[in-house]
Amino acid sequence: MRVGIVGAGTMGTVHTGSHHEAGHQVAAIYDLRPEAAAANAARVGAAVAPTFEALLSDPTIDLIDICLPTPLHRAFVEKAARAGKHVLCEKPLAPTLEDARAMIDICREAGVQFYVAHVLRFFPEYERARNLVLAGKVGEPGVIRTTRGGIFPTGWDDWYADYSRSGTLTLDMIIHDFDWLRWTFGEVERVYAKSLSTRTTERLDYALVTLRFASGAIAHVEGTWSHSGFRYGFEVAGSKGLIDFDSAKIQPVVVQKRAAEAGVTGVAVPESPLRESPYTTEIRHFGRCIEHGEIPIVTAYDAYKAVEISLAALESARTGRPVTLAKEAF
Amino acid sequence: MRIAILSLAHFHGYSYAAAVAKHPAAELALIWDEDAARGGAAAQQFGCAFEPDLDRTLAAHIDAVIITSANVHHKEIAVKAARAGKHILCEKPIATTLADAQAMVAAARAAGVQFMTAFPCRYAPPVLRVKQALEQGAIGEILAIKGTNHGRMPGGWFADPGMAGGGAVMDHTVHVADLIRWFLGKEFTSVYAEVANRFHDIRVDDCGMLTMELEGGAFATLDPSWSRPAAYPTWGDVTMEIVGTKGTISLDAFSQNLSLYNNDDRVAAWVPYGSDMDEGLVNDFIAAAAANARPPITGEDGLRAMEVALMAYESARTGAPVIRGA
Repeated sequence: MRVGIVGAGTMGTVHTGSHHEAGHQVAAIYDLRPEAAAANAARVGAAVAPTFEALLSDPTIDLIDICLPTPLHRAFVEKAARAGKHVLCEKPLAPTLEDARAMIDICREAGVQFYVAHVLRFFPEYERARNLVLAGKVGEPGVIRTTRGGIFPTGWDDWYADYSRSGTLTLDMIIHDFDWLRWTFGEVERVYAKSLSTRTTERLDYALVTLRFASGAIAHVEGTWSHSGFRYGFEVAGSKGLIDFDSAKIQPVVVQKRAAEAGVTGVAVPESPLRESPYTTEIRHFGRCIEHGEIPIVTAYDAYKAVEISLAALESARTGRPVTLAKEAF
Repeated sequence: MRIAILSLAHFHGYSYAAAVAKHPAAELALIWDEDAARGGAAAQQFGCAFEPDLDRTLAAHIDAVIITSANVHHKEIAVKAARAGKHILCEKPIATTLADAQAMVAAARAAGVQFMTAFPCRYAPPVLRVKQALEQGAIGEILAIKGTNHGRMPGGWFADPGMAGGGAVMDHTVHVADLIRWFLGKEFTSVYAEVANRFHDIRVDDCGMLTMELEGGAFATLDPSWSRPAAYPTWGDVTMEIVGTKGTISLDAFSQNLSLYNNDDRVAAWVPYGSDMDEGLVNDFIAAAAANARPPITGEDGLRAMEVALMAYESARTGAPVIRGA
């Protein structure tokens, strides 16, 4: 598996390492900022592609991995598909359902495989929780709560703060939770939401979203770019039991430097190491889907449905009304 | 100050009775209960007289009453107590309908007696600390609040719609709704809610999710679900995540617990060591009654918090947000 990576920002950097760990050969990396591409390329012995087209015209590249800001996804996916490359695209799939649908269609027409990096399905705590739910350990699921977020993110050109590009945390971040919830608890019927993004021009976002599932279960999703650090967690309460997880409480390793040695103040850095990063597990899986026909754990259609929930939440936050999702699949 | 407990249908009555008994300037004079066995046993426990007749109780030499009956009986008892000239501390929710709550507040006003709604959470030291931090401007203006008041399904009359006026949403909306109003000093303007029965085979709702807006544009959500399984290490929680313009505050009001693992118990248990909150509530009530002064939590406060639960039920019925006063 030879991979061309587009984007050398936060996710491009993570994916570069993960492809390498998964045994994929990173052939070349393209970024608008050649120095960023060069830094990532140097880590894995890849070339720096002078243009995106150079990646597409390299006949030895099987997969194009697109780690770009959301509004750029459609154009890059379309070009990659037309060039006959399999495509892996960062989440969220697209800023609109129209774009999301078009991307899926063009990959289908071009006969290339198309994956979207909903990595939460590869986090073992989320996978274990889902398995417990499916095994009936909580009985009938009743109320599910999720939380995610921390500090307001900074990215290239500060694109997260430009909501016309990032789509707010509701599209960019808690789409992870929407996808996991739909994977675990089934289709969502109705969405109601409030969001700071519609109320303040400060560099703050905070969203509280209620989902009602077709099963009757209720979920509450919290997303924050108003806190410090980063924290995520969930609670699944059902008729027979309850599962909870809070990343802030799971700290198998804490490295603490004494103030005198650290310079200014003592800082504790907690870590929760795994043998393999969930990003690598995910990318290894997508590689096997392409090369060996492994059944995908998450499809582009799933990614489309997650975008649908995010956009419904944003519409609800804007209008103050609950939004009922379309029942029919496309 | 001679005080009567009116009904022990709600188990908080025992804790309030204990707080009265401890108070140096108050006397637990009488217990009335519609259930003579329960009332008699409680009277014996607290070393006071039991009176099986409500009218005779209210005609007795007492200054104030604490009402801990089933929700639906609050109004009749409170109106009688007010007319008999007794100051009133009433368990939450104040009533089950707006008309009942208004009648209670009006009766107390007409009789010139003090009416206090029992929101003991305002007296939990972690909650008081949050109130103080907010007043000191620690996080600037409040923009949003995420609240929970989880619990176990209490059973008994709590699960009887005719006695409780609702289920989890009626039982567990008012505490956090009151804290939100208290923290912000603003009124709710709209409520949207999903309400369901997912956990227990009972005739009332056992879970829900409320989303509220307040004057000035802050928003909040509240999970009032009876979603703690029997195996959970504690009864439930009151939590609030408060997002302000300058920072955030996380409150987990009843997290001052030890973890106990005992071979004779089936499950792990959290043993609370946090400070008692009912005593502060009862002490403030006794002080207000003694001075015939407005208590720190009024009937109006009780009414506003209950109104949120009623709006939640209406929203769940109509599928749309309910605008207050619309």
